[in-house]
Amino acid sequence: MEAIELHRVGKVYGKGVSKVTALHDVSFSAPAGQLSLVVGPSGSGKSTFLTIAGGLQTPTSGQVLIDGHDPATMTAKQRDHLRLTTLGFVLQSYNLHPSLTVADQFTLVDRVKKEGNLSKQELATLLAELGIADLIDKYPGQLSGGQRQRVAIARALYPNPTIVLADEPTAALDRPRVAVVGQLMQDLAKKYGKAVVVVTHDQRLTPFADRIARIEDGRLTMEK
Amino acid sequence: MFLAIREIRHSKLHSGLIVAIIALVGYLIFMLLGLMLGLAKENTAAIEQWHTQTVVLSKGANLSLSQSLIKQADLPTLKKGDSLVGQSPVVISATGKHAHKQSAQLIGLKQSQPLAKTVVITSGHRSRNANQLVLSTNLQAKGYRLSDKVRFAGSTKTYTVVGFASGAMLNMTPVIYGDLSAWQGLKGNQFAASAIFSTRKFSLTTASLKAYPVNRFVAKLPGYAAQNKTFAMMIAFLMVIAMVIIAVFLTILTMQKLPAYAVLRAQGITAATLSRAAVAQAFLLMGIGSLLSLGVTFLTTLALPTTMPFLFSWPLALAISAGLIVLGMVSALVPVRLIRRLQPLDAMS
Repeated sequence: MEAIELHRVGKVYGKGVSKVTALHDVSFSAPAGQLSLVVGPSGSGKSTFLTIAGGLQTPTSGQVLIDGHDPATMTAKQRDHLRLTTLGFVLQSYNLHPSLTVADQFTLVDRVKKEGNLSKQELATLLAELGIADLIDKYPGQLSGGQRQRVAIARALYPNPTIVLADEPTAALDRPRVAVVGQLMQDLAKKYGKAVVVVTHDQRLTPFADRIARIEDGRLTMEK
Repeated sequence: MFLAIREIRHSKLHSGLIVAIIALVGYLIFMLLGLMLGLAKENTAAIEQWHTQTVVLSKGANLSLSQSLIKQADLPTLKKGDSLVGQSPVVISATGKHAHKQSAQLIGLKQSQPLAKTVVITSGHRSRNANQLVLSTNLQAKGYRLSDKVRFAGSTKTYTVVGFASGAMLNMTPVIYGDLSAWQGLKGNQFAASAIFSTRKFSLTTASLKAYPVNRFVAKLPGYAAQNKTFAMMIAFLMVIAMVIIAVFLTILTMQKLPAYAVLRAQGITAATLSRAAVAQAFLLMGIGSLLSLGVTFLTTLALPTTMPFLFSWPLALAISAGLIVLGMVSALVPVRLIRRLQPLDAMS
């Protein structure tokens, strides 16, 4: 079973003259253990693709299966639970809660998801890999953009999701950090068997990808 | 609670300001409450001390003790627990120079009747004849002393102060306990008393007299009900103001955090979890503010002069604190509505 499957998914915003078709008949699957890259220019439909693949919104047509579950048939509470237990989001707007230290960001996850999160040792390793181990007591307001983005990545991975969806995870990072994040995403797929889908226009990530899909004008084509 | 505590701890200035405002509003509420109770007690302290259940007044007195006069001919047979009370406003002055003229309520009592025995003497003794008076401790604080020779304005008769009584206030005026004959000396011997105060519950209606339950009598004391209502209204408005303040502050703080909440929603943290944090924050801020205001009010009561009509009631103050906390939690419904409307998809914007 594929971790994420999109079957002939279409998404239309608005009606009449303001009607915009963001996705045209998109079919896509992300298997566990592979890093899938979805590349494309701004406005091509990448973000819409990601939100539908992550169950944040439902498609106008077609079907989405996340870990075998169709979010369109689930209640809001069930979708919340699915995202909490199965999906890890690394969003471009990595808004960390401003009142929580880096450590507290993980404690909050512990409060709502009691089991299955990374162990202290695994978290320490992850933070060290991301180069933010010494920032554990800092508030988001005390971090640089790049540091905040790495904390957001760690926070998304902390619940140990089976699927990781990332929206431009390297947008604020320099080349060495891009390599670290690319390697991390690849390791998540290879070592831990997660399905990793990264939506980006950052070509520096392509060497790490197992599969590459290009999206333009809402149409998706597989390149690799 | 975890999120609420972290948010309060991180936003120390914001939270401190909210707590300070709540504490100030709470302090104002408790001071008004103290004054309300203090003034109410000064209206009724003597009556409460008498353990009265029923008051018999002359029919045309419109429930006013000072307007009531019971003629000797109209006096019913008194039963156990009934006491005759003669009441008249007087101006008292000491023949010495140490005490100024003071307005007071002369309460004439028959020393053999039960009401006279309820008067709490703090120094000296009860009146033993028609020439002796027991004064409220309020007058003692104003310079009157045991053995002082005093007289009432418009009268040449001299009385001796033989005791002081605590809690002797009626209509916010200090009470002077004397013999019923002293009152009759002012009003005339054709009158038996102003009223009959009884520890029994009973009804009585004759051509000239009517019995009233003590609550109805107290409620009709001049200005008593209006005064209490005014204070109660002020307290209620202040509580509503406190609720609005916390609603406004929490809404602003929540609006600032909506983008972060949206990401948490996208990650599967439910709106209920975030809503609980907002309600818990309101609970904590109101709770801390109320506790502070209670503490400051208590310290203030220690510094207030004893003559000030102020009575601090812990049960009522705690009930109002609980009310403030509940109102604060209700006010959190405004930011909760914002959180409930937030969609996980908003994390992308």
